Amino acid sequence: MLLILLLLMTPAASPPLPAPAAASDAEAAYRQAQQARREGDLEGAMEAFEKAVRAQPDSLRFASEYRMTVIEAEAFDRALAFFEELTAENPESAHAFLNYGYAYVDKIPAAGSITQVLLANNALKHFTRSVEIRPTWIGLYTRGSSYLFWPKIFNRAPLGVADLERAYAMQTEMAKQSYHSRVYVSLGDGYFKTDQPKKARQVWRQGLEEFPSDEALKQRVEASDEELAQLVDSGYDPNVRVSTDLRELWRQEQADKASAPNQEEDRP
Amino acid sequence: MMRRTRFLLFAVLTPLSSTLAVVSATAVFAGEKPSDSRPPWFEERASSAGVDVPHRNRTFDNPYAEIMQGYTALGASAAVADFDGDGLPDLYVTDSSQEGRNRLWRNQGDFTFQDVAGKAGVARLNDARNASADALWFDYDNDARPDLFVVRFGHSLLFRNRGDGTFQDVTRKAGLDDRQNAICAIAFDYDRDGWLDLFLGRYFSDVDLFDPDTPRFFPENMETAQNGGGLRLYRNRGDGTFEDATSEAGLASHSGWTLDLGHADFDNDGDDDLYLAADFGTDRFFVNNGDGSFSDRTEEAIGIDTKKGMNVDWGDYDNDGLLDVYVTNITDDYMREGNFLWRNNGDGTFYDVARETETYDTGWGWAGKFLDYDHDGWLDLYVVNGWVSAGQESYVPVIFEMLIREADDQGQMDLSDVRKWPAMGKRSLSGYQKSRLFHNRGGQVFVDQASRHGLDSSRDGRGIAVADFDNDGRLDLFVSNAGAGPHLFRNRRPLGEEAHWIAFELRSPKSNRFAVGAQVRVETGGRTQLRFVDGGNGFASQSSTRIHVGLGSAQQADSVEIRWPSGHRQSLGPLPADRLYRVTEGQPLEGEVGSAQDVPPDSQAGLLRQGPLDRPDPPNHGRPAHRRHITQYRPAGPEAGRGLGVIGASVVEVPLGSKSPLEWLPAQMLLRSDHFDLSRPVNRQVGKRERLR
Repeated sequence: MLLILLLLMTPAASPPLPAPAAASDAEAAYRQAQQARREGDLEGAMEAFEKAVRAQPDSLRFASEYRMTVIEAEAFDRALAFFEELTAENPESAHAFLNYGYAYVDKIPAAGSITQVLLANNALKHFTRSVEIRPTWIGLYTRGSSYLFWPKIFNRAPLGVADLERAYAMQTEMAKQSYHSRVYVSLGDGYFKTDQPKKARQVWRQGLEEFPSDEALKQRVEASDEELAQLVDSGYDPNVRVSTDLRELWRQEQADKASAPNQEEDRP
Repeated sequence: MMRRTRFLLFAVLTPLSSTLAVVSATAVFAGEKPSDSRPPWFEERASSAGVDVPHRNRTFDNPYAEIMQGYTALGASAAVADFDGDGLPDLYVTDSSQEGRNRLWRNQGDFTFQDVAGKAGVARLNDARNASADALWFDYDNDARPDLFVVRFGHSLLFRNRGDGTFQDVTRKAGLDDRQNAICAIAFDYDRDGWLDLFLGRYFSDVDLFDPDTPRFFPENMETAQNGGGLRLYRNRGDGTFEDATSEAGLASHSGWTLDLGHADFDNDGDDDLYLAADFGTDRFFVNNGDGSFSDRTEEAIGIDTKKGMNVDWGDYDNDGLLDVYVTNITDDYMREGNFLWRNNGDGTFYDVARETETYDTGWGWAGKFLDYDHDGWLDLYVVNGWVSAGQESYVPVIFEMLIREADDQGQMDLSDVRKWPAMGKRSLSGYQKSRLFHNRGGQVFVDQASRHGLDSSRDGRGIAVADFDNDGRLDLFVSNAGAGPHLFRNRRPLGEEAHWIAFELRSPKSNRFAVGAQVRVETGGRTQLRFVDGGNGFASQSSTRIHVGLGSAQQADSVEIRWPSGHRQSLGPLPADRLYRVTEGQPLEGEVGSAQDVPPDSQAGLLRQGPLDRPDPPNHGRPAHRRHITQYRPAGPEAGRGLGVIGASVVEVPLGSKSPLEWLPAQMLLRSDHFDLSRPVNRQVGKRERLR
């Protein structure tokens, strides 16, 4: 299933991934980590997750669950040290760098306003490295959205719009996924932040047609011009934790699989 | 000289399961019309009052001058006290330039002021080694005259009020002649020995800012800097001298960049506690142990923050009988710290309700003061904002670049070397930000009314001095602005059925003379409001020590309880509204000393002047020596504006040596219709003479 996901997010030719450890070892460590987390043994969970991620450095799933445990344990610096080492050992792993960036993002709400800037800048560096290695949908969406958090004076919103337009182009070539609605939200926000409100509304409306139950799109489409600035702005407050939990990526895969159990899995 | 930074924010993104914050539409409250066409309640009167003298920032002449200049937009402060005892609040206003003069604005009673600083000997207090930063009136020698402490980068100065309009420099004699690099000062009697003690907030460490022997005197980092000046406590020995009691009192542990101090009895245990707002690091909260020492309770009371605390003011905004704290920080596109409105939980902890109450974002905040400007019985907030309003180019990317360059992967850095800091030049940093007037809606939420009432200035505000300058029963505002002229806003809120008030002047022969620290609880219709006499709370400003309480529609205070600094409790009431009462500790109430109720609302009528007569004393013909005082009234109604000048006046003679008229004028004397009939022709009253004692 993970391979399906990676395929979806890897439209460009990918460099070969590092040789994975035995999948069974990784899965075993992952299951052990989940068990430890359920039992409240965060230290044990982090250790096991790290083992799983080391075995499969490009795994979004293992790394995402690891970071969620780190947030719970508030062990942000541990995660940063871990991903620093992981990326050094796996310099061509796009998702290792992506998660390294996320690890900085995870620490932002716990930091002071100055440190937030510095952490965000570091995150951006690693997102960029990830996109350079392999321009995936998730990588472009992530970096594009991160640009939108920067103060207007740094003029980074246009860079965000460029990334999000690429992510949008990618998803039009992919099977529809519920999380694709987020590109509509962010791309519209990007247009709004670059003083293109008509284009922003157009994208949000288009997104709402495709995802009629998406609350974020609905709010934007229904907001008055006066409300819009506050609405968009409120979504980019660094003091409010932004979830970097990626489970939605494979949750839908699981749902699809459950609804069509006999359907043969796509394989690369 | 100054330094102050704030910066950046922004973060990064992401998300796949982010929840969008629900944005609440701006609420429109009953009675607050979105497009209110009524005239604003405040009038800008700085020019007509004669106080419109621009503040000038300090410049430097040293190897780091170009860098330091970017951080010198401070030192515009204002402090209120009735220094000459004429019943009218006067103002001391600081300038920071080397050649600049500080001003002692004597209130002439007609909403004009005269600068008497030169004659008083408190004008030229800036020089090559010192720059004024703040000012504080406090009666250090308990002679019932406010003395003047001028806070300076370099050495601060203490001036004894001689009582004849002049001041004597007693700094050295008082033992205060240290280089403090202080930026703020408050005075309260922390050990309850009856003498006001002096608390100095020090910004820089002990370095000669004007000729530094090291370049390493800037903050080491932006969020946890501990290389500032910290705090110093000078204990008043009661003999005209002070001793450094910082360590003994348990206050020496803080070595951060103090920007403001505020005292209040947060737990109602009878002694005053201390909140310290720190730049580049966590604010501090010290609980008074009642034995001459404090305990640092920061972590449990407010937690550890990394913000840029600028202002401390205490007030019971929700009328729950517990004093709360308002602290300004920095909120801008590049740094979203948000202000603190610390609601007092009553258990030794506070909860920040700034977001919920919508007092969170004012920009780059400076002074923020509680006051009930509309007399509805709820404390409102006025907040001034903005760092440097200069050219169109922003300093933000420049300072940002420096931060990113200097920081390691974990965000650690050492910025103490001033040479690392980029010069600001002509750039702006969080400039042109509007002041906010937050109207308190029932202790739940505040609504900005600054624009509605003409108070939304975009000058770089620093201090706010609140006082009823014209004794008309309404609180006026003096705002000091960095590098610009001040504002003097006269409150013209219509007085009527919904805007009653009551005020108290407290004097104590037992506690400190102006009763700093006294609490007053005023009960009307089952609601109790708590106020206290503060000794200089709020950034770069000191408000009047007069207690002023809005009563809404209540025409009387059902009961009043005063808890004096000595611990003595005194109950009064019921007391009719719309009057100023003088209360002396341990003595029965003499009656009201002033009432604006006798003055037609919204007219130009009002107390014009009380004070020593300028004309020479006449021969006394063998009588005991007397000093003459005058009380004048401006014409009301049809008489207003006819150039008559005075509708009523009384010259009284009192024994020399008497102090404030409040000490000797009987209640009936001032602003009472049974003494002066304001409806009678002017010439029937002018020149009236009485012998009182």
